Amino acid sequence: MTDIALRCVNAEVTYTIRSHRPLIRDILRGQRPAAQKIHALRGVTFDIPVGESVGIVGPNGSGKTTMLQATTGLLPVSAGEILVRSVPTFLGVQAVLRNQLTGRRNIEVGLLAQGLNRAAVEELLPAVVEFTGLGNAIDMRMETYSSGMKARLHFAVATATSPEILLIDEALAVGDRSFREKSAQRLDEHRANAGTVLLVSHNLAEIRRSCDRVIWLQDGLIVADGPTDEVLASYEAS
Amino acid sequence: MTSDTTSQQPSDGLFPVGRPTPLGTYLRDLWARRDYIIRVPINELKSQNAHTLLGGIWLVLNPLLQVGVYFLVFGVIMPIDRGVDSYLVFLTIGVFTFHYSQRVISDGARSVVSSMGLIRTLRFPRATLPLSNSVGQAVAFGPVFAVMLVVIFAYGNAPTLRWLLIPVLFVLQSLFSLGASLLAARFNHLYRDLENLLPFVFRLLFYVSGVLYSVDHYVDDALLRALFAFNPMYVYVTAWRWVMVGGPATAVEAAAAVAWAVVTLVVGFTVFRAGENTYGRTG
Repeated sequence: MTDIALRCVNAEVTYTIRSHRPLIRDILRGQRPAAQKIHALRGVTFDIPVGESVGIVGPNGSGKTTMLQATTGLLPVSAGEILVRSVPTFLGVQAVLRNQLTGRRNIEVGLLAQGLNRAAVEELLPAVVEFTGLGNAIDMRMETYSSGMKARLHFAVATATSPEILLIDEALAVGDRSFREKSAQRLDEHRANAGTVLLVSHNLAEIRRSCDRVIWLQDGLIVADGPTDEVLASYEAS
Repeated sequence: MTSDTTSQQPSDGLFPVGRPTPLGTYLRDLWARRDYIIRVPINELKSQNAHTLLGGIWLVLNPLLQVGVYFLVFGVIMPIDRGVDSYLVFLTIGVFTFHYSQRVISDGARSVVSSMGLIRTLRFPRATLPLSNSVGQAVAFGPVFAVMLVVIFAYGNAPTLRWLLIPVLFVLQSLFSLGASLLAARFNHLYRDLENLLPFVFRLLFYVSGVLYSVDHYVDDALLRALFAFNPMYVYVTAWRWVMVGGPATAVEAAAAVAWAVVTLVVGFTVFRAGENTYGRTG
């Protein structure tokens, strides 16, 4: 029996969105801002074995991102439970990168932010610099970069460390064709090292390429869960 | 990576996500991130003046110019003593040490709400953010302190044995400020109103903490003066003057300097951690 990396048992996520936070004005008048209860996930159950790549598809607002956020503990489950082998990590360090810093400094900070210590960063740095393919521009401030160059830097930093369970929410196809190939390879390597991947995407070609299994979400419920070809065939037919 | 969760697993190796981290683990995770906590604010300081001609020199020039203005106003234009000898020294120590806490607390209050993107993508002990801000402000205090020393020497003061207490006092004030910034970060995340309020709180504190005048000179009654110990900013400003140039201070104030540091840090950290899982959530 293979080990389970992530297990959702009847997981539900409910939250309230309000038109605005209650202001003192509302409280004095005894009014409440218009509120809506959102059942983003209404009981989903699945097991993901270690080393599997799972694509998540579904229309906008079907609960895909909510599900990923719930697996990191950022959103609490209102019922059911989510069990993990290690806390899943989003692919993305956009929030860490600073325009005023050079590419090299950004790599350092990005790696530190992902929990590495200085010694590990020193060790990894040359390989990451190499992977970006930015050449001399690596010692220029990031504000001088084109958006493609920024995307390369971002991807290189984000994938430099391999979390056990990796969450990818869209936006994987970055840079030019050769860099896209390099990126895809990097993810293949990650999976080869028994890394588990959850990939949310509207790009079905990308899902076909990199996922063994697909979960189709609609209105917070699982419509289908199975081999990529089967699920995508019925998803496209819907 | 997320080493915070490798311990205490049931037999199948799975554990529920999003459960609160025990205190020990939390502190260990913070310690494991020390390189990030130190590196990031230093980078920030370096890049702050990236678009200026003078660059890092501004870190020293800024406090120098401040003192220059005070010298012009209080030394040349209207030289008054307000009950203290060498008013410029008195003023410099007061203003610089007051501003240090003010910076730590008001920037710390924003540290969580300004890093929402980071909080939503990466998992780390959220106290990293106010802590990192505090470290940055402490580093930035270096050049400020150097300018303060120049002023002190320029007025003919020499180092005394009391100067051995400088690190102790600095640590105490830093711990107090960190505690207050943790508290402020939590409440500012809850209601951003705090951000609008803080400048006024500090302006009021500035006037009642004896930054510009000697409280000792105006308040004779010992009992009444003891009341000032309830104002931490007064306590630290007064303690700095006592350490640096021997201004008046009492045992009450010394005890208060320790008490404020310990209590504020413990309360601030506890309150901040109680909100650990709420940071980054919407609604």
